[in-house]
Amino acid sequence: MLLKCNKTIPERAKHFVVKGSCTPTPGGGCPVASNVQTTPGDMTERGCTYAGCRGVVGGPVKDVIQLTHGPIGCSFYSWGYRPHLADSDFHIKYSFTTDLEESNIVFGGEQKLLQSIIEAAEEFPEAKGVFVYNTCAPALIGDDGKDIAKIAQEKIGKPVVFFRCEGFAGVSQSLGHHVGNETIFKELVGSVEPEGDFSRSINIVGDYNIKHDIRTFEPLFEALGVRIITRFTGNVSVDEIKIMHKAALNVIHCARSATYIADMMKDKYGTPYIHVTLWGIKHMSDALRATAQFFGLEDRAEQVIEAQVAKIMPQINHYRSRLAGKKVFIYQGGPRAWHWPQLLRELGMDVIAAATTFGHEEDYDKIYENVGDGTLIFDNPNALEIEEVLTTYQPDLFISGNKERYIAYKMGTPFVNGHTYDTGPYAGFSGMVNFARDIDRAINAPVWKLVQKKARPVPGWNGNRNETSMAEAF
Amino acid sequence: MTVTTTPKATVTRQERVVAINPTRTCAPIGAMLATYGVHGALTINHGSQGCATYPRHQITRHTREPCEVATTSLSENAAVYGGKENLLIALKNVYERFHPTMITVCTTCLSETIGDDIPAIIGEFQENFPEISIPIVDVNTPSYVGTHITGFDNFLEVLAKSLVRRGRKPNNKINIVPGWVNPGDIRELKAMMHEMEVAAIFLTDYSETLDGGFYSEKPHFPKGGTTLEEIEDSSNSMALFALQKHVGGKAASIYDRRYGVPSHVLPMPIGLENTDQFLSKVTEVTGKEVPESIEMDRARLLDAMVDAHMYVTDMKVALFGDPDILEGLVRFTAELGLRPRYVVTATDSKQWADDMMKLAEELDLDTEFMMKTDLHELHKRVKAEPVDFLIGHSKGKFIATDENIPLIRVGFPIEDRFGYHRKAIVGYRGAMYLVEEIVNAFLSQKTVVSNTIMDMRDLEGCTLTNGSGNGHGHEKMSEMVKEA
Ligand code: SF4
Ligand code: SF4
Repeated sequence: MLLKCNKTIPERAKHFVVKGSCTPTPGGGCPVASNVQTTPGDMTERGCTYAGCRGVVGGPVKDVIQLTHGPIGCSFYSWGYRPHLADSDFHIKYSFTTDLEESNIVFGGEQKLLQSIIEAAEEFPEAKGVFVYNTCAPALIGDDGKDIAKIAQEKIGKPVVFFRCEGFAGVSQSLGHHVGNETIFKELVGSVEPEGDFSRSINIVGDYNIKHDIRTFEPLFEALGVRIITRFTGNVSVDEIKIMHKAALNVIHCARSATYIADMMKDKYGTPYIHVTLWGIKHMSDALRATAQFFGLEDRAEQVIEAQVAKIMPQINHYRSRLAGKKVFIYQGGPRAWHWPQLLRELGMDVIAAATTFGHEEDYDKIYENVGDGTLIFDNPNALEIEEVLTTYQPDLFISGNKERYIAYKMGTPFVNGHTYDTGPYAGFSGMVNFARDIDRAINAPVWKLVQKKARPVPGWNGNRNETSMAEAF
Repeated sequence: MTVTTTPKATVTRQERVVAINPTRTCAPIGAMLATYGVHGALTINHGSQGCATYPRHQITRHTREPCEVATTSLSENAAVYGGKENLLIALKNVYERFHPTMITVCTTCLSETIGDDIPAIIGEFQENFPEISIPIVDVNTPSYVGTHITGFDNFLEVLAKSLVRRGRKPNNKINIVPGWVNPGDIRELKAMMHEMEVAAIFLTDYSETLDGGFYSEKPHFPKGGTTLEEIEDSSNSMALFALQKHVGGKAASIYDRRYGVPSHVLPMPIGLENTDQFLSKVTEVTGKEVPESIEMDRARLLDAMVDAHMYVTDMKVALFGDPDILEGLVRFTAELGLRPRYVVTATDSKQWADDMMKLAEELDLDTEFMMKTDLHELHKRVKAEPVDFLIGHSKGKFIATDENIPLIRVGFPIEDRFGYHRKAIVGYRGAMYLVEEIVNAFLSQKTVVSNTIMDMRDLEGCTLTNGSGNGHGHEKMSEMVKEA
């Protein structure tokens, strides 16, 4: 399917399908081209491998020095903007970088890296280790950061973990998740053998504790009689990561960014895993049930679920009555685009368009399973495509990230920030109420009436200057 | 390491190699911001995706506006074989899909290190598509040289060299190069020129493009921005005023030498004297007198400074951010009676160091001017010897919360508050705003006691908490001060 704005880049057509009018793949979904190189200059919203590794997987680890090996920008931009909260804030408050300069690019940045690690460790003796993230420039000049990390580790007597996550390595953030998983697994997991009984313990894998999501569901697992030892990665310390192999079960939330480490643990330690979703009423209930089933605790699960659902239903029903029938365009990094249609249905809403920034084939199959016929499913949207979908599909709500928020606003479309949440947390049963409330605030805000009735055209605007010239040129 | 010293003031440079909480970012964002000031122009960032997506996001967080920047999406292949193909494709796609009035191609650490010959690639593109006649400029913005302001400055240099048409038809205008400021600052400068009845070309003007309105139909490109015709015509202006030395200084000398436009590089017009200097120069050049409305603003500012002085005189302040804003702020805070104790910039500039020492001597300051320094270093200084106020961008909030010192938000980025991109700090009205912010920051503290000017230790019932003042239990004292 080819959008109007893509007339000149027909290769974008294969990234679009409409459910119900495609020839399904063997996996059952529609064939959506994904996880491939972005069309240069199409105004993609994608980020880089470094962003996926530093921003998503490594960044939430709360007691390590987060050191970016590169020129200044990469570290500045990844500093403190993702609300992957913890019960301390060292990881958000401080950003460290080797701040490479021209001479380092010419003569190599290895010595500067070594010195930086040592200095940073001296400045913050309380830190439990150093995470070093590689970026494009040092990768290109061939710095051997890994070797330096080894030397530095000896010198400072703490783990120094080097991530080969240079931005250009992959087609999106996604590769960064993979690098993050693999590196943490190899360098840290299993490096300590603690004593104790771990027979009823789990890891939550692939939850980043955005705006304290974990607080909404950790007590629920505890109520089952199951202990979370490691949250990979949100409100987590290095010491907890080291012992994560002790868990009896890995409970995977974000399948896209963290199944890697669960697979590696399965291979090496035989740890089984289950895929769950920790947002929404049905999903959260299913997650508790599946976990309980593993441990033979089914009865408790039903008790917990019943009590919690009863608590929130009055509010959910209230919001449902205000939101039923609304149409949603959801565009997320990856799995939320298939996790959330169910949540929206629980509020009486329907997804009419769904897209992801870095989803792979499995993600698109999952979206296909989770949305109704006629839904537009597409991959790696760019600015013009977003505008066109907002214009032609006229959704009542757009769920996306902060960069896209203001495009929606300028077009008069209500918006909720699905990446880092408007209020949040959105996970668990209690988070579902926050989610519903935010959607209600977005859709039913009085400002939209004002906008519809009172907004005026651009003063002195007789068709955009450039649109005129565009019409002339074509 | 100490670089220079007068009896009291010093210029220092950070010795630690690792940067911790930098007050600078990288060059491409400067070129992107400047390009936003040209109506209908778009930037292609030649690099990997992060280098475009991150700065876009940063500008959006500051302005709460959409910010579009294209990327050539370089990958491993390009790292080996060069990024030429990607750039050629990106140019075509951006042109055909967006129809911009102009394209800025800025580089990144990646494309610079690969060594792509950007002018040659653009040349090839133009040869392939002779019908595409919009200007395509290339700006070098490797981030391992200079800071974010360097990118802006480099863009202006390119603008001066390649977008201006030589001409000898006086247009009765002046050129104003505001530098890296806020949309609100540009609007304030425009308002001042309007009141003075002086026509001005802004190089460049992102006052509306990055602070747009809500319109019943979203225009394809945001309304506003300097047009290419205005830029072409800027060689016919009677003078050029660059209001930041490090952002526009190079362009100013090109206008001077190449187009014979007399160029004045002035301190940023923050505070009374700096604004006086700017406006009197404008009067000198244009013959237009400062009108009554502006005179009244000036008088009101002076009046407010009198009203404010017992709250703020002798209080210590730490300033951080870009060098030219700091230059303006140092004079302004000093004229308000504050003592700039630490002034921190990431820029390494001998000119700045010299200018600051001159200023320190003139104003009798005991400031430590810290070049090429990060916010962690400032934090350590403030811990050792506290200040009453911090003035700078949002990244200083960690010092502010830890040390319980009010942060007056000025500069870029302000991402933890709403609407600061609309606040002007230039001109008399901008200075008035700053006076109010500072005094109100003082008045809204729980305990209104200076960190530094009053020794509370001997007063009964008063204990200083955490050694830096601002503790609790000073209610009486605070009331006294409030009534002063
Ligand atoms: S590589 Fe360079 S240009 Fe890109 S974000 Fe990092 S510092 Fe900035
Ligand atoms: S230089 Fe590379 S690692 Fe850094 S932001 Fe750009 S793409 Fe990402």
